Amino acid sequence: MDPQWHAYTPYSSALDPCPPRPKAYIVPPNQYVIFQPHGLRQFAPREALKRGTLWPELYSPYEHGDRGGGRR
Amino acid sequence: MSTGLPKEYYRLLEELQTVDFVLLELSLYLDTHPDDPQAIAQVQQFYLRRQGLVQQFETQFGPLQEYAHSPTVMGWPWAEMPWPWQV
Repeated sequence: MDPQWHAYTPYSSALDPCPPRPKAYIVPPNQYVIFQPHGLRQFAPREALKRGTLWPELYSPYEHGDRGGGRR
Repeated sequence: MSTGLPKEYYRLLEELQTVDFVLLELSLYLDTHPDDPQAIAQVQQFYLRRQGLVQQFETQFGPLQEYAHSPTVMGWPWAEMPWPWQV
């Protein structure tokens, strides 16, 4: 799984009729960066436009989880 | 799918969009890092590149910006040029 995705399984009681469903949430890199450091690497311009950011360190696909909290 | 427009039209527009995006990212970066010499040099370089692209596009295909922000050397061809949704 993508390193930005963190999975967890919520507690499900024995009396719970529904089977426990694994859940996942994404933590994009910008959550860890308080102040952007100087001199970060950059994408090529065309690549940056496709990726949506100029800085590879701050790039996140933000795609839905395969089996998790993503919106359906 | 072939549209009436030449390939050059799309190539220039796509490159202009790419350069604009880099300029946007750099301006956001410079808002918080105004003293970063490397970023300033890069933004000046991309600004010049953008001017060249816009000038190249407008001489070939007509004005890009309305309200006469673009050169009106070709008169007022807005009705003949393709509308944005026709591009």
